[in-house]
Amino acid sequence: MHGWTGQMLRVDLTTRTWRRETFTEEWALTWIGGRGFAVKILYDELRPGIDPLGPDNKLVVAVGPISGISAPNTGKTVVAAKSPITGGYGDGNLGTRVTEKLRKAGFDALVVEGRAESPTLLYIDDTTVEFLPADEIWGKGTYETNDWIYARYGKGAGVLNIGQAGENLVRYAVIRSMEGRAGGRPGMGAVMGSKLLKAIVVKGSQPIPQAFPAEMKTLGRDDMRTVHALDQKAAWSKQGTTGVLPWCNEVAALPVNNFRQTHHPEAWRVDGERLAAATVAVYGCPNCTMQCGLAMLDTERRESELDYENMGLLGPNLGLFDITQVATLNYMCDDYGIDTISGGGVLGFYADAVERGAAPGDIRFGDFEGFRRVLTAIAQRDGEIGNTLAEGTLRAARTFGHNSEEYAMQCKGLEVSAYNCKFIPGMALAFGVSPIGAHHKESWIISYEIQQTPRESYGRDKAQKVVDLQRIRGGMFEAIVSCRFPWVEIGWGLEHYPEYFNTITGRDWELEDFWPSADRIYALIKLFWLREYPDTDRKADYPPHAWFDPTNADTEGPIAGKILEYARYDELLQHYYDIRGYDHRGIPTRETLERLGLAAEARVAEEYAPLS
Amino acid sequence: MRITVKLIGGLAHRFGAGEREQEVPPGTTAGDLLAALGISDPRTVITTRNGWGIAPEEEVAEGDRILVSPPFSGG
Repeated sequence: MHGWTGQMLRVDLTTRTWRRETFTEEWALTWIGGRGFAVKILYDELRPGIDPLGPDNKLVVAVGPISGISAPNTGKTVVAAKSPITGGYGDGNLGTRVTEKLRKAGFDALVVEGRAESPTLLYIDDTTVEFLPADEIWGKGTYETNDWIYARYGKGAGVLNIGQAGENLVRYAVIRSMEGRAGGRPGMGAVMGSKLLKAIVVKGSQPIPQAFPAEMKTLGRDDMRTVHALDQKAAWSKQGTTGVLPWCNEVAALPVNNFRQTHHPEAWRVDGERLAAATVAVYGCPNCTMQCGLAMLDTERRESELDYENMGLLGPNLGLFDITQVATLNYMCDDYGIDTISGGGVLGFYADAVERGAAPGDIRFGDFEGFRRVLTAIAQRDGEIGNTLAEGTLRAARTFGHNSEEYAMQCKGLEVSAYNCKFIPGMALAFGVSPIGAHHKESWIISYEIQQTPRESYGRDKAQKVVDLQRIRGGMFEAIVSCRFPWVEIGWGLEHYPEYFNTITGRDWELEDFWPSADRIYALIKLFWLREYPDTDRKADYPPHAWFDPTNADTEGPIAGKILEYARYDELLQHYYDIRGYDHRGIPTRETLERLGLAAEARVAEEYAPLS
Repeated sequence: MRITVKLIGGLAHRFGAGEREQEVPPGTTAGDLLAALGISDPRTVITTRNGWGIAPEEEVAEGDRILVSPPFSGG
């Protein structure tokens, strides 16, 4: 088999045992890798209803066929498990040296089961797996943990670790790597914490199996140079993703004060130009050709690596427009191992709830010191508020009551990324049907929608575009496991990805050959959710109520007086279901499942809920 | 007539940052503005007018605020 090692590593923390397992080429071609491997493993092996923070949950770390090879931006790894915050399938990706090292140790996936008796560091190399004590770093932040590991294993080791938030089971704790990288928004860090797994260290030295290694080496080297040159010409990495902030502000899509407003005159103070001027260091993932990790000094003179999501949600969404203060909250999230999107969403929701009299406390939008205190309380699960907010926005809203769920900015329990969709129907749909809860990574339709369609339209073309983008982004990129930025940010053509895939695997795939796998992955994720929530209906695919509330419409600016409409959104959602072959609940029909080769998985699902 | 043009993201580093007010003759289109900036292919950028998308062939009007962005996919 070329392109995959054909092996996965299964580790049981309870029994402190491990074993190598093999998979077939047919299985690999069906699920590709990354998210595909993860959802298949989790669907087959997790019993519905298990506690995501209990020993029965499993953490999957999975790479794809082009991961870790010398080609543009291939340093990503997928981390997945049953999500502690949504109760459904959860995953995320992050740049890490684990990508290359896991493959070189001989594995395309790692499955972690059980629960350790005491804090543990899992060490993996070509020949062995060791369960090592991690008491010395338990309770430490991710930066200190990373330094501790580097001091013992060298900076070249692949490292995944968690901070105090993961240890304390904050439901939106992430997994961290390489100082600045983070992934697994739906609580993958909490899953590690629940297993008392502080860190995973991987070293590997074997060659990655490739059909045409010499050709791939030349192709990858040349393309990395070309993409880097394209980035230099476009000057994209001067601001990285933060370049989008002034655009969101201009088109009324910026989250301000828990998404109450869509733009703000002071937003320029936290935009990409300000970050570019303040940048003191630039970081990137392995094999990156367009590094977007722009770091500036925070209020404590610490390096803090900012991107658009954390800038938007820890800045304007909290009423903060001092970029060094935003950098401080971002540093704290990174060190605690808190997802910056959900962290900003939760803090914004709390300030909103306090202001409306629904929650106790005295915090206000713009209260930097107050947000610092609350963030620390969340990471430590300190006190009633810290504990409540560590549960995430939806659970906190149900605790606070007073109709606060209406302005809890989440879908399926996961906080919304930094795009305010009061009047952007297609992007609202993208959040609603994202298979892990509200996340921008699946289908970022917003720029297409604003530029190339009537913004006010709820037409089928928008649903089709959401599906198209899901196939590319959440399907192909999450399965081959490669960064999508070269594609859209600087125009690196999608045709290069089947070229890499074919050179490594020896296949002859066209781009379209990825779509069945992409659709299969989305359908199986839906079945995973169905087993957990057998009574689910299409309301699960609705975005937050606040985007439909006429009293929440802007009173001035580009979209003054405009707001989404439930009935028209529902029509748009139906278009999406029709294109996908899903029923009125948003569940793939039996016919769709059989077409995608999921007849066996469908029979399993039918034990829990009927299919159409 | 006077309009305001602002370039953001990588375009600000390539063509100059900040907002600029400028005088343009009646009948000027969004595509004309882009061409004057040195952006020959309108498909390579995202252009908005007062917060809404504008096509290259559409004419700008007195007081319009034009924002020109590189394409982006989100973080």
